Amino acid sequence: MEREKLITLDHVSKHFHVGKGQTLVAVNDISLDIYKGETLGVVGESGCGKSTLGRVVMGIYEATKGTITFEGKKLDLRRAKDKMEYARKAQIVFQDPYASLNPRMLVGSIIAEGMEIHNMYDREKRQERVYELLETVGLNREHANRFPHEFSGGQRQRIGIARALAVEPEFIVCDEPISALDVSIQSQIINLLKDLQKDHGFTYMFIAHDLNIVKYISDRIAVMYLGNLVELADSEEIYAHTLHPYSQALLASVPIPDPDREAGKETVVLKGDVPSPINPKPGCPFAGRCPHVMEKCRTQSPQLKEVRPNHFAACHLEME
Amino acid sequence: MEKVLEIKDLRVSFDTYAGEVQAVRGVDLTVNKGEVVAIVGESGCGKSVTAQTVMKLNPMPPARIKTGSIDLCGRDIVAASEKEMQDIRGELVSMIFQDPMTCMNPTMRVGRQLTETLIKKKKIEKKDAEAEAVRLLKLVQIPNAEERAKQYPHEYSGGMRQRAMIAMALACGPHLLIADEPTTALDVTVQAQIMELLVKIKEETQTAIILITHDLGVVANLADRVAVMYAGKIVEKGSARDIFYNTQHPYTKALLKSLPTVDTKKDEKLVSIPGTPPDLFAPPKGCGFASRCESCMKICKEYQPPTFEVGESHEASCWRLHPDFPGEKGDVK
Repeated sequence: MEREKLITLDHVSKHFHVGKGQTLVAVNDISLDIYKGETLGVVGESGCGKSTLGRVVMGIYEATKGTITFEGKKLDLRRAKDKMEYARKAQIVFQDPYASLNPRMLVGSIIAEGMEIHNMYDREKRQERVYELLETVGLNREHANRFPHEFSGGQRQRIGIARALAVEPEFIVCDEPISALDVSIQSQIINLLKDLQKDHGFTYMFIAHDLNIVKYISDRIAVMYLGNLVELADSEEIYAHTLHPYSQALLASVPIPDPDREAGKETVVLKGDVPSPINPKPGCPFAGRCPHVMEKCRTQSPQLKEVRPNHFAACHLEME
Repeated sequence: MEKVLEIKDLRVSFDTYAGEVQAVRGVDLTVNKGEVVAIVGESGCGKSVTAQTVMKLNPMPPARIKTGSIDLCGRDIVAASEKEMQDIRGELVSMIFQDPMTCMNPTMRVGRQLTETLIKKKKIEKKDAEAEAVRLLKLVQIPNAEERAKQYPHEYSGGMRQRAMIAMALACGPHLLIADEPTTALDVTVQAQIMELLVKIKEETQTAIILITHDLGVVANLADRVAVMYAGKIVEKGSARDIFYNTQHPYTKALLKSLPTVDTKKDEKLVSIPGTPPDLFAPPKGCGFASRCESCMKICKEYQPPTFEVGESHEASCWRLHPDFPGEKGDVK
């Protein structure tokens, strides 16, 4: 089945200048397609550039290099009109539901703001939409006249989701939407996101560091390390045939809530820490911690290649 | 087994302008030498307050120990004065926190932060203290310990800071180590390193560890015994195997089911616990979990369930475990 591409990233990089002539390479040369209606999970440790990638895809940051194509059209976010239109079609749900809602605005105004900016509907219809949206995300209409501080973390995250839905987007970036929430609340939000996708056919880019949740929610998973895309495959495939040594270590490090399996599993405890992304060295980014490091890993950076059908990995190992 | 800590019927409240917050509402817990006891629960369930009360880290007022006793290696903590507590902290019990950056002095070299305690508590010479500091850093597997001791906390990575904090906690050889969410701020690969280190310390020094966490995976990896807390009470406690394989309390069951594991199928819906935890300004009259429990009965809302013994050292507080409970089929909604 030929899947329809919604977004295509072509050699996208994002650099930040951090003073003293140094460059922080947050996203390094990533090419990837996001298909319509799928959930692409992006995993990696803190500082691997997964959130920056989300923001580049959203158009919040302008890519330093490379192009983004949306629905077959190249995005030029410097044109105000294009940017405005894209801002409506792509929305984001942030990690911290405490910091991402304006404390001085009523919930109703927070949700309606996007519609006002994009001149959608008239005033009454907007009000009606706010009520509808609140009910869609599992709150009720009375909540429109309250302030964010009156809500718990899980409820605030629901408000953030309602705000994203308000402008009828096609694509939603979920940037660690549940990591600030308690365990019992996390599953509520995950179920909500899944139901919404089923009903509205959204495309998600789901950024997280909790691998079990990413596997559960995603159709495909992209593993990032130090700004680089190291592995990309269907979520079942990536667990069944993990190729990249970093992905292997990452998957093995996740503690399983089951004492017998936890005692019985082999642990590959990685030595050392993630190196600094400022002025990165040539070669494979993982070379310093990789258990299978070879001479050429330190000099040549591996390119992402299709090792198995629809399963991409960037490592020198498989070729040998 | 040698008891290190025994908490009996501990109740802790905070007096605030809005009223009394009953953070801990009757907790019984024992910790034996060389074992890891995990306290699991959501934020606000009182797990940290329980642990902090053992060290009396909560300023009093506003905190207040209403009833209960805490026996730590034969010392009565509830009655201990602040001066006595200063001796107890570090020597009998010490703590590692979630965020190592905010718990270290950023203007002081790491080695100095270690020797400071050693000189004060163990009354040893500066030179010996420095050697001891390096030995401790080596114990927690910090590479180039001699060099690293001369660096400041900001020069360390997150995982190394957590290691250095563990070294500080171990400096005076405590009998009990309280680890409050020790891996929450860390990445999974670093988390695995710290968990490995904690196991090694437990085995080598026979230190008892109280592990406070909300991550059931970490619990499965480290804990010998588990206490599940909800709304200021321990709702279920037992060995790690009891909790994971012979779960009795509906809250524990829901908690275990609400997380997707590697085996969860895509089309399976996650079990979610509806609602939010109760307000501890006015805790419910009956069972704290009643309003969110799918098998809630009339009695649950009226009376607090007593603790029922389910097996050897496995107990849970739920009316459904009462000997007169007619069984799952005769459920009264």
